[in-house]
Amino acid sequence: MRSARRARLQGAGFDLALPYLLLAPSVLIVLAILIYPLWDGLRASTQFWRYGKPLNDIGLDNYIALWSDPQFINSLWVTVRFVGLSVAIETVLGLALALFCLREFRGIRLLRTVLIVPMVITPVVVAIVFRLIYASDAGMLTAFSETLGGTPVQILGEPLRAFLALVALDVWEWTPLMFLILLAGLQSLPSEPFEAARVDGAGPWRTFVDHTLPMLKPVLAIAIVLRAIDAFGTFDQVFVLTRGGPGEATRLISIYGYDTAFKFQQTGFAAAMFVTMGLIMLALALAAVRLLRRAGPT
Amino acid sequence: MNDFRSLRRPMGRRTVLQGGASLALATAFAGSSRIAEAAGGKVIIGAFADGGLTPFKEKIIPLAKTQGFDIQFLEDEYGVTLEKWYADAKNAAGQYDLYLLDDPWVPQFGAADLLEDLGAGGIDAGDSDWIKSLIDMGWWPPQTGPRVAGFESAKPKLICVPFVGDLQTLTYRNDVYTKGAPATWDELLEMGKAGVAAGKIKYPIVFRGVSGNPIVTSWYPIFLSYGGEFFDDKWKVAFNSAAGKAAADFFVGPLKQNAPPGVVEFDSDQEGAAILGGDAGAIIQYSGNALKADDPAQSKVVGKLDFGVVPKKEKAIAQIGIFIAGVPKSAPNKANAIAFLKWYCGAATQAKLAEAGSIPVKRTAFQVPKPGNRLIPVALKQLDSGALPRPRTPDWAKVEELLGIELNKALQAGSGGGAALDVAAQKVTEYLTQMGYYK
Repeated sequence: MRSARRARLQGAGFDLALPYLLLAPSVLIVLAILIYPLWDGLRASTQFWRYGKPLNDIGLDNYIALWSDPQFINSLWVTVRFVGLSVAIETVLGLALALFCLREFRGIRLLRTVLIVPMVITPVVVAIVFRLIYASDAGMLTAFSETLGGTPVQILGEPLRAFLALVALDVWEWTPLMFLILLAGLQSLPSEPFEAARVDGAGPWRTFVDHTLPMLKPVLAIAIVLRAIDAFGTFDQVFVLTRGGPGEATRLISIYGYDTAFKFQQTGFAAAMFVTMGLIMLALALAAVRLLRRAGPT
Repeated sequence: MNDFRSLRRPMGRRTVLQGGASLALATAFAGSSRIAEAAGGKVIIGAFADGGLTPFKEKIIPLAKTQGFDIQFLEDEYGVTLEKWYADAKNAAGQYDLYLLDDPWVPQFGAADLLEDLGAGGIDAGDSDWIKSLIDMGWWPPQTGPRVAGFESAKPKLICVPFVGDLQTLTYRNDVYTKGAPATWDELLEMGKAGVAAGKIKYPIVFRGVSGNPIVTSWYPIFLSYGGEFFDDKWKVAFNSAAGKAAADFFVGPLKQNAPPGVVEFDSDQEGAAILGGDAGAIIQYSGNALKADDPAQSKVVGKLDFGVVPKKEKAIAQIGIFIAGVPKSAPNKANAIAFLKWYCGAATQAKLAEAGSIPVKRTAFQVPKPGNRLIPVALKQLDSGALPRPRTPDWAKVEELLGIELNKALQAGSGGGAALDVAAQKVTEYLTQMGYYK
């Protein structure tokens, strides 16, 4: 009787423990590859590092020092301008393309496929191609200009042009993502309000302003936030195209953080920079989640 | 029966300890005999892609194989090697036996104590055949000059040995500079302009203008030739002296005006294309690109490019930028790597290296009857004329970055080189103060 009860209890205990045992490997892996590095990074951000070693704990000094570092402020400002401009253009173009591709006509499937090609190309390859377009000595634009009797085209050596060239690269590569999300959003909208508007005699612009845009707003907001998070972490294209130059004109915070950590070996300061960057991205992600909740089941 | 019984006997603690000790001793003896006998074997060499290593790859690696070395040569792009190797050494990953470092990285590895003491490994730094300015760069902390905080009284160790004696020299068009290498900057521009007027070239000079290391490397020989000094012996910034400012003004003004219009965005590839494509009349460059001058597959002006000592204002001084070899403490085949370095630095191998066309690191090798490249005697001439390394500090990358940004801005503007140095000097001083240089 007693042994039967023990066996039952053991079974119950094992049954209770089984889910945890099954989850344990995954939890351990997550702890090892996500939580520990995060914790280590946070710890490093509160230390003064020299010659590859932490020398002493300095609390939040690295975070405070960030805001008195003109290079960090400049990088942050360049990043904010880059994200703002790129995402704005990508949104407008993406929406325009999505509206155009919403219609069904011959060849539309092929067109939709072609339009998403840029975003599946490796960013480094895209940057190399754009460098071959922009380069003043042997670039495609210079060749074109010289064929027409002009002079070499100066893009990457001039701050504003280099910045706009970087934005153009990003727009070319990531407008398809906005297009894809917004097209899916447009296709999921109910048809009744549009039919009613048509019956009432509303024109295309009125329909777009009064129906399409309000109903698409949650999807649009999520697309913008997701793209902004992604753009905030842009690294490879700048690394290949300009390395942050000329001067500091295209030095995004990701490039400055990378240089600080690996070239200058200021691990603590770089960790504080990346934590700050992470917090900004987290704020954007929280905004996305909030918008997602507000959007409801659509 | 008894035997079986004894086998079944449970192992006592003493038995385990005895077994463990025997195993440890056997392993230790096996290991020591491997070190003692190492005169070949596997060596994993990490290098960044550079034409300066081509003769080594093509001629010396096969030669090393005949000596029993199994060389694995792993190349990466320059921009990622420092980070990669530093992480390898710091985390004791043991991916490499030998790094072929760019010499300004020696202080970074040295200060972090990541490299083996090669002197203790039996490499003789006192050999009088070494080019002194080159072997001096292998010590950490440096034997001469100022030292960074924390290493003021540390005993210098030889943590690296020169591998390829790279330094800047002048490459010029012999149909433009018909009297030989231009001796001064003024002569370089004057004759270059005549070459442009005659339709032989498009621009008298080409250089690198990209922010950071490229622009500072291009400006450095001009700065040195004007008599500039980077730091004083207390790490006080000295590059914004009158000489430094004059060099910067010359660099962003007259020199830029005589360079291709896009020089602000030029890096090695673009400047190389300008000289090898026949557009530019002169360039100051390292051997990696200079060695391409006679290769018809890479140069459109074969036979028209000659080498010379860099032009002077007050002195003709170039920047030394050697490949320098260090063995990480985490190297899996440490003994093999040191044995390889001893063989490589020997007079016979150095002579073979010179014959293969690479700039050697031992003086006698410069005297080989048939050097594999016409650049080699010029390199020795430049070394004797004057060649200086960059300051020996682990913070050089940051200093170079701060200076490079300001120089690049002045280059964009085409003026204000001196003012740019003042701004850079202030930024560098602030940074070095934070890092504890001034007490």
